[in-house]
Amino acid sequence: MRIAYYPGCVAQESGKELDRATRWVCRALGIELVEFPNFSCCGSGFVDEANEVLNVAINARNLAIAERSGLNVLTICSTCQGMLSLANRRLNDPTIKARVDGALKPLGIDYRGTVTVKHLLRVLTEDIGLPAIRAKVRRPLNGLKVGAFYGCHLLRPADEMQWDSGEEPHSFEDLLDALGATPVYYRGRVMCCGFPIQFVKSETAAAISGRQILEAKSHGAHAMATPCPLCHISLDAYQNKAEKAVRQPLDMPVFHLPQVVGLALGATPEELGLDRHLVPVDDALARVRPAVA
Amino acid sequence: MPEPTVTVPFDVYRYDPGRDAEPRYQRYTLDLTPHTPVLTALLRIRAEVDPTLTLRYSCRSAICGSCSMQINSKSRLACETHVGPELERHGRIVVEPMRNQSVLRDLVVDQTPFWRHYYEVEPYLKLDPAHPMPEGKPTSMTPAEVDRFMETPRCIACAACYSACPAVEADAGFPGPMALAKLYRFAVDPRDTAHQDRLLRIQPNGLWLCLRCHLCTDACPKGVRPSERIRDLKEMAIAAQGATEQGSRHAVGFKESIRRAGVLNEMQLTRRTYGLFGLLGQLRQGLRIMRKKPEVIRRPHPIEGVEELERIYEALDSGPEARK
Repeated sequence: MRIAYYPGCVAQESGKELDRATRWVCRALGIELVEFPNFSCCGSGFVDEANEVLNVAINARNLAIAERSGLNVLTICSTCQGMLSLANRRLNDPTIKARVDGALKPLGIDYRGTVTVKHLLRVLTEDIGLPAIRAKVRRPLNGLKVGAFYGCHLLRPADEMQWDSGEEPHSFEDLLDALGATPVYYRGRVMCCGFPIQFVKSETAAAISGRQILEAKSHGAHAMATPCPLCHISLDAYQNKAEKAVRQPLDMPVFHLPQVVGLALGATPEELGLDRHLVPVDDALARVRPAVA
Repeated sequence: MPEPTVTVPFDVYRYDPGRDAEPRYQRYTLDLTPHTPVLTALLRIRAEVDPTLTLRYSCRSAICGSCSMQINSKSRLACETHVGPELERHGRIVVEPMRNQSVLRDLVVDQTPFWRHYYEVEPYLKLDPAHPMPEGKPTSMTPAEVDRFMETPRCIACAACYSACPAVEADAGFPGPMALAKLYRFAVDPRDTAHQDRLLRIQPNGLWLCLRCHLCTDACPKGVRPSERIRDLKEMAIAAQGATEQGSRHAVGFKESIRRAGVLNEMQLTRRTYGLFGLLGQLRQGLRIMRKKPEVIRRPHPIEGVEELERIYEALDSGPEARK
């Protein structure tokens, strides 16, 4: 399949390992990524807070870029997914549509609303399908217990979600199962990582992420995996702060979604950028691939 | 023909803080039709099996908001949650008290903080004494003005949103979704004369601790969508007062970062949000992250077509904060 690749800001900068792993997995599964150097940032929810219509307009511009090439959009971030699909929904409001058109049409941009925005998790589970993925597993993740952590904007508002279930999602766990891993179910898997208030009150953000990691751990998870690089920042890069907040060591490796897929499909840790994590993933890797003497 | 019944196992949270060392879950098994509300089942348990089971309820019609509780870990009204779908999905029905409030006994929680936050937003119309409403005459609003807050008066104060909110869970100072939705209702009412004062008073711990996770919107049994109204309040607060604190500075700084380059400049935004002095406080963590991810301090290349963004901003972002 061909799809417009929307990597988002983090995967192009501090979360480069996510981009690297995505490209590896897509190559392995025959997903052709079409790149557009004129895609802008989705606003990450912050532009939406400052100016709702502006946020819809910048994302309508992004969607129009894909539409001109007749492609749907692939996201690899729960927040990008949320913001781009929010733009699609908000454009159903005639008042917002008129204002957005008023800003875009003078630039020759006319978004007709035909683009579907799909997160990689949806493409893997719906378009590629679990049987096809299962058939390509070279290194089953047997013995690895993984707690999925979805990220808010992939799931909610649940009544506006077009696939899976916002309240009781299972696509990520189904995928983990197909990869040979044991999915861990815990309440926090659909909760917030605290990222949006990292810049407002970092102790509260850390208390929130700490709670989720601790809960995954107490349910037996050896690792967590997330389809959102912002959650990854909270859970991995700021795990030291979370440890302070919950007053105990967590030592929880956190994979990006395509890293856990790539690992099962036979990629090397280097190909997936696993050396770029703040919390080492070695213990989790050792469970998958016993060290050769 | 009577509807066939199913055997439903309930695991009900039981706790009397005055007598019990810790909470426990008690199993009750009932034969019920799938359409039986969880509340009806609990009342049957209380009437036929265990008269000590304590719960709050009143109308049994999803109007009073009294019987909110956690059903299979989700904040729900027990009177409108049917046993069939819960059983199908979870194999049993776990009933627990609402979260983020201390337990008085079994399924009854202390709602004092919830109501305190509600009263603190002064959820009533404030009028200018110099311009009282004309006596005996209705004060008219246009349909468009009413539409702005049509959803919020549906709130039945069941506290499902408060129970679901992770910001409340982590920070008792956060007023919670319901209080902020109520605040919104009056902050956009054209008859209210305290709009500015309302927005001013709710910060800094109010608006900007909202995680926009939408758990409140999912939990609300009445479709109030508090998270979306909190977003509206944030935009109103920025428009009225500018970027006066960390949360609003970050939102406005983010917006301006996209205007200039089309992509986020992480370093520049951090400096803008925290200020130069605050940035120093982040130095240690920053260096820690930089060792693995040196890109955090790199200035990203502007996207192709960044001038289009400038034109879009000129058309849609003319507010007082636009060029800061």
